Amino acid sequence: MTDRLGTRADFERFQQTARHRWEALWQGDKLIVSVGVDSSSEPKGASRVLAACREALRGTSAVVREVSGNGAMWMEPTVEIKRPGEPPVVYGWIEPEDVPALLAGDLQERAVGVRGPEAFRGIPPLDKHPFFKHQVRIVMEDFGVIEPDSIEDAIARGAYSALSKVLFEMTPEEAIAEVTASGLRGRGGAGFPAGIKWESGRKARARPKFVAVNSHEGEPNVYKDRRIHEGDPHKILEGMLIASVVCGAERAYNYIGGEYPLAIKRFRRAVADAERLGLIGKNILGSGQDVEVRVRTGGGAYICGEGSALMYSVMGVRGQPRTKPPRSVEEGLWKRPTVLNNTETFANVPAIISKGGEWFSQIGTATSAGTKMMTVQGPLKHVGLVETPMGISMRTLIDEVWGGMRDGHQFRGVQTGGVSAGPLTPEHLDYAVDFDSMTELGGMLGSGGFVVFDQHVCPVDFARYLTAFNRVESCSKCVPCHRGNPALVEILDRIRLGGGGRDDLSLMERTSKHIIDLSLCGLGQVAPMPLLGMMKMYPQDFLDHIERHVCAAGACPIATPEALATAAD
Amino acid sequence: MAPTISGPDSEMSSERYGQTNRENAIDLDEVRQILSHFKYRDFQEAQELILSALQEVNEHFGWVSLDAAEVVAHHFGTTATRVYGLLTFYADFRTEPRGKHFMLLCHGMACYVMGSQRLIQNLEDVWGIADGDTTADGELTVQVVNGCLGVCDKAPICKLDADFFGDLTPETLNQAIRGAIAGGGSWRDAHHPVAAGSNHDR
Repeated sequence: MTDRLGTRADFERFQQTARHRWEALWQGDKLIVSVGVDSSSEPKGASRVLAACREALRGTSAVVREVSGNGAMWMEPTVEIKRPGEPPVVYGWIEPEDVPALLAGDLQERAVGVRGPEAFRGIPPLDKHPFFKHQVRIVMEDFGVIEPDSIEDAIARGAYSALSKVLFEMTPEEAIAEVTASGLRGRGGAGFPAGIKWESGRKARARPKFVAVNSHEGEPNVYKDRRIHEGDPHKILEGMLIASVVCGAERAYNYIGGEYPLAIKRFRRAVADAERLGLIGKNILGSGQDVEVRVRTGGGAYICGEGSALMYSVMGVRGQPRTKPPRSVEEGLWKRPTVLNNTETFANVPAIISKGGEWFSQIGTATSAGTKMMTVQGPLKHVGLVETPMGISMRTLIDEVWGGMRDGHQFRGVQTGGVSAGPLTPEHLDYAVDFDSMTELGGMLGSGGFVVFDQHVCPVDFARYLTAFNRVESCSKCVPCHRGNPALVEILDRIRLGGGGRDDLSLMERTSKHIIDLSLCGLGQVAPMPLLGMMKMYPQDFLDHIERHVCAAGACPIATPEALATAAD
Repeated sequence: MAPTISGPDSEMSSERYGQTNRENAIDLDEVRQILSHFKYRDFQEAQELILSALQEVNEHFGWVSLDAAEVVAHHFGTTATRVYGLLTFYADFRTEPRGKHFMLLCHGMACYVMGSQRLIQNLEDVWGIADGDTTADGELTVQVVNGCLGVCDKAPICKLDADFFGDLTPETLNQAIRGAIAGGGSWRDAHHPVAAGSNHDR
């Protein structure tokens, strides 16, 4: 146990030691086995693989490490093996019973790549793999590299040096100027410039002030934020601390979805370790700054991803949004100024402070700087979590990064923006993936979760699914959303059952307009967007259901008039 | 701490609330034991911890009874009504006991586009249960997850007690359920408390 680091010099000494230890480990003559354990590999048996490795190597000098996965979910569980004098090699599809053969060196056909610049014995560098080739990793830099439960690993790789820089070398104004110069925009979906929000937070005069991280991630289409907690929790924590210091906040909250036990566990561990070292709490590194960090967990209500609802949830009441203004940066948690950003936004901040806003703004596009973590779902070959520069084309993502469609599945479209936007069809794949390009088509970057669907998915049924999600998750506070979404689902069900009429299309458009114009919160105002997008992109499917009573995908229960009569009851 | 309202109210509620028979009643001393980890220094912290405490109770017992909700309310100096309002708002909480086995059936978008709708239909057709229901014999409770379980390469998936099952079809889902029932375990095997060993003060 290391003592509390009372000064910046203490921190730098600690950092030196951690770096030496890190280099000695990787340049030493020990066998190093790193198993990727996270919420996507765990269900495939990653912990049992880890246990098997520990068992097999008990009593030897080998080092067995619990890292997180590297995002390549389709090849999980993954194990990285570094033998003395050789570069680390990543192996995929490792079951617990494969471990003896793997350690004996007999599973060369499962070698996926070398973590490093050079090929080794015919195994190419991992970065040459199409899945990794297009990626630029800022947030995910150390996924699968560090042990997320080890603050020493994180510090050896540079964690908290940006915090130290902000505390001792920069004024808050300078730090905010870097964030503004970087062009960092909110990663939760809305894309509001982080620097401007922080500036408002700093200028707010009420005290105390708070910082809050939105790690709720209740969308049905994305799984990135929980993975930052599982892969590199210290990046989030450092971002929160920097934001607190520059905005003058005395307390920082992280609101994590309660469904993600591993994310919560690893983040809590990170907080406990940072507290022990004096990176959190009173008088951080002797700077005179105090920041308290609190972890709060959600209860599985999608609406709590909305800013004001999230804050009500933190305050222990029902998460129902309120009208704005005042914005949360003026009146948030406990009616005090609160700077709220998405997890990924905070996780980008340490690199921006360390390398400069200018460096960050060079990545991505002119209006969407930096990288974006993106997840994919659907019948693709290489399903996984990636981080690519903004502006990459949807075609590159789908065909190369995610490996194209699986055999027997034809690409029909890709749903963007979760439950808040519409789909793109095959002819729109050359659009750039960033905050602004897709909006003219009714698409949206959102939080970066894309859902590819094939010929077995019916656009009418999909629209029903998406609208039904909004119906179930409506917080019921305002009538347009609470009553409007069930009305839409009812009409869609009529169409799905073959009982729809042509006027149902205009009725849905009118109802949608009411929901959009009159709903109280941002989520209500976009609830009909998926339906409108589906109607715009796949008009023929809607007409086929209505006029010919045909569902080309075979997904809808197109039925006889008798069944319709029963369904109407 | 303000005392909570009890008396006639709790008698009436346990009847309407049902389920509080001797077999599955929640041991309130155990609830108090859990709550003893949730210390607070001021009003704000007390409010912030209510949800976390309820989650812990829900995880431990599989549901939160009205009696337990009253104990929680008392601990945090608030009313049972307020606590019950939380239990019915947030999807993760159950106000009825779980069956012997507990299934989280993912209905996120990955699972939807890979056919989870058929699985939900199958649960209704074969097992007679919809989201939140328990089979008549008390063997299986299903909860449909509207979010995402994050194992999208294996969609559609479910978590049944401690185990995940991926690439599901109605047939493999039924097999998994029969296997779990025949196997004799229960959802308690999967009980990994979220906050084990952690510091609740934050």
